[in-house]
Amino acid sequence: MTSRRRRLGTGRLQLLRLAVVVGGLVALAAVGVGGAVAQDGGSSPSPTASAPVGPTASGATGDTNTCRTCHSAIDNVQHEITEAWGASVHAQAGINCADCHGGDPTSDQVTVSMSVAAGFRGTPGRTESVATCGDCHSDVTRMRQYQIPTDQYAKYRASVHGEQLFGAGDARVAICIDCHGSHDIKKASDPTARVYPLNVPSLCASCHSDTAYMEPYGIPTNQLAIYSESVHGKLLLDESDLRAPTCVSCHGSHDAKPPSSAEVVGVCGRCHTATQALYEQSRHAELEIGPKCWTCHGNHDVVQPDESRFFHPKPPSIDCTTCHNPVDRSLVLSADRFTNDDDRRCDTCHHPDSLLYAQAEGIHDALATAAGAYDAAEAKIREAAGVGMIVSDADVELAGAKTSLIRARAAVHTTKLTDVAALADEAESKAGAAQAIAEEKLDDALRRRAAMVIVLALIVVNVFALILIRRRLDHSYAGASNGKPRANVLS
Amino acid sequence: MNAPAETVRGGVAGWFEERLRISGLLAALLHVRIPVSAQTYYLGGISLFLFGVQLISGTLLALYYKPTADAAYESVKYITSVVDFGWLIRSVHHWGATLMIASVGLHMGRIFVQAAYKYPRELTWMFGVLLFAVTILFGFTGYLLPWDQKAYWATTVGTEIAGGVPLIGDALLNLLRGGADVSDATLNRFFGMHVLVLPLLLAGLVVVHLTIVHQLGLASPRHPEPRPVRRGGPAQPVDEPLKPFFPHYILDELIAWFVVLAALVVLASVLPAGLEDEADPLITPQHVKPEWYFLSVYQLLKIVPRTIGIVAPMIAVAILLLLPFLDRNPAVAKRRRPLALSAAVLAVIGLVALTVWGAQS
Ligand code: HEM
Repeated sequence: MTSRRRRLGTGRLQLLRLAVVVGGLVALAAVGVGGAVAQDGGSSPSPTASAPVGPTASGATGDTNTCRTCHSAIDNVQHEITEAWGASVHAQAGINCADCHGGDPTSDQVTVSMSVAAGFRGTPGRTESVATCGDCHSDVTRMRQYQIPTDQYAKYRASVHGEQLFGAGDARVAICIDCHGSHDIKKASDPTARVYPLNVPSLCASCHSDTAYMEPYGIPTNQLAIYSESVHGKLLLDESDLRAPTCVSCHGSHDAKPPSSAEVVGVCGRCHTATQALYEQSRHAELEIGPKCWTCHGNHDVVQPDESRFFHPKPPSIDCTTCHNPVDRSLVLSADRFTNDDDRRCDTCHHPDSLLYAQAEGIHDALATAAGAYDAAEAKIREAAGVGMIVSDADVELAGAKTSLIRARAAVHTTKLTDVAALADEAESKAGAAQAIAEEKLDDALRRRAAMVIVLALIVVNVFALILIRRRLDHSYAGASNGKPRANVLS
Repeated sequence: MNAPAETVRGGVAGWFEERLRISGLLAALLHVRIPVSAQTYYLGGISLFLFGVQLISGTLLALYYKPTADAAYESVKYITSVVDFGWLIRSVHHWGATLMIASVGLHMGRIFVQAAYKYPRELTWMFGVLLFAVTILFGFTGYLLPWDQKAYWATTVGTEIAGGVPLIGDALLNLLRGGADVSDATLNRFFGMHVLVLPLLLAGLVVVHLTIVHQLGLASPRHPEPRPVRRGGPAQPVDEPLKPFFPHYILDELIAWFVVLAALVVLASVLPAGLEDEADPLITPQHVKPEWYFLSVYQLLKIVPRTIGIVAPMIAVAILLLLPFLDRNPAVAKRRRPLALSAAVLAVIGLVALTVWGAQS
């Protein structure tokens, strides 16, 4: 946020300075070549409507980039800009100052190189800059060699950001350079890039967590805080696991827009493919008003689910009209999303006296039994390991139980009691087998201890016998030497 | 040694005696006298007993153990969980190693405190230090054999320490590992050392050690050994009360062995030898710790510059080896050896402190 404001400030300063330098000339030349100034992208569906500018158009290569030669010497700010550009992907690909700013980079006469006649455009305005980027980035021919997509401009126009910019003329929304930088553009795969996945949450939050900045739009600003505590956020931010979704994984990046209720299953299913397939088989999926992923799991605050997710500790009081039309009994409840995690439970919608509640209860009980068997087996195995037994065979069996339990939990999404129960039974019996192995080992450990006691007893008997013999020897020896050890000469 | 006909007994003993003529040798070995004041705490004998335990249990383990990186781990797991009494044999070998190192260390301590390393037992002591070194090497080479994570990484760290020895470090590291990393080649040479070279070496050294002990008799903890008055002359007689070595001392020793056996049985049953995950050169565990007897050196290495941490233990061993020549004080009474004893107390405190510190960090 603040950095963007700073960038805007720098841009204005730059403009001022340019105006001083070329002021007079511009006034003269503008009369003739006014049309050459790039049009506002907002009014044109395609950025290529303006004259295409690009590497071939500017003709600036390596040492003929006079912009750089002069600007790096003007002051620190200008110097840093040229340095940042020098380190960017654009510099690597030979995209020079003039490709975005216009002008003639082959002339070392400021009056020529920065003249309107030479196509000089100064710093593009915020709206205009989107079209400037789009000019090249929508051009399939030009982008082919870099293997990067060309639909970003189109996607951007369809995003909330783009609609706001082009539709409402609101230039406060995010534009290309806010996320990618302007002179210092880096590849998204570069870990130091602002758009590198690990950096995305803080990048989005730089505007979206700013309460003052977001105020006019009336949208919440606590998403990053909530996301950071979620399974997804912890995985990404704490463990740097790039498989975890960032903001853009669900909202889109160039096409950023919150997924709708109709879209959310597909969005989650992009990663949770198997779970989505199970969900599609369910009664929930058949109903238009049926619960979606986020109805039970939330969105930014997704946590690791377990069996406690089924029911409230105490059933909430709901009456028929909460869900049904009192006249024709049709469903009227639209269970889309619950902000309060405690409400994301089966019995929020299913009344304890209903048949469906009984089914949910059956599913819950099957899972709870299997999970209990798993925990018990695991505890027994740890106990056996604790007394020094090797438990790797039991661990293998337990891993099998875990797989079945995971599959049973996933099958909850089908809402089919038979499916869940079959897998839960499988998990329970595997856990039982693992526990049996562990118990066998514990018995073994007990037997070893019993054997140890017997061996110790034998040793004690032997030691006593030896002590007796020793006593007798001492006696006879003392007798032979008249109770005194014999003196001798040591040699 | 032509035994006169009248001493030949009948029966089995007589039959053998007629053919071996060994009673004279046995008498010379057994029927010796030792000072009544000698207090060995049976530690040398216990070390010998434990060496025997290690030989027997080790031989049994070798029946099933496979010394290759591919098969070692599985074979140890098989021994521990399938082979009848395999767990017991392995646990006895495991605890026998620890007890042996402890008893050899304590034996050395007893010799030091009683000043038994002084004239004329300098060579007994020096062979003893070699025995101590070989015992430690047994521990070091044996630790790798189960080929689990602990074994692999402790050996990686241990050989790395050897690699830091000035001048010859790189060559030594390569020699120990048989390559750049701990690998199948390392396992093979450690196995060869552990089951062939070291046992033969230890057995040979023990024979020499005990022969010298026998020839000189046990030292008196009360009087310094008298020196000959003049070259080739007889020793100055000392009035020292003596007692028979056999059967009195031997019986006591036997009782001590039973006590150690009992300790071994309890330890092996209650805390059997475990096995971690199989060695994986790609996964470094968070805490790599060597066996307890290496903890002090390990901790020292962490707190002082590398070269010092490696050279200091080498100097310590050299001092130990040459101790009889460094300590010229002929006295054996504790009151008259303040310097040696206080230096030893300091060294032991330092060793214990480093070990405890190493175990906790
Ligand atoms: C595997 C290792 C060892 C074995 C099996 C062993 C065995 C023995 C035995 C059986 C004795 C007879 C007295 C006794 O039991 O204390 C003895 C004496 C002795 N040992 Fe060891 N020993 C070993 C290691 C050492 C070490 C590490 C040292 C010292 C560095 C040492 C130094 C001596 C000395 C000086 C004596 C003569 C003690 C005296 O005369 O009182 N030994 N050893």
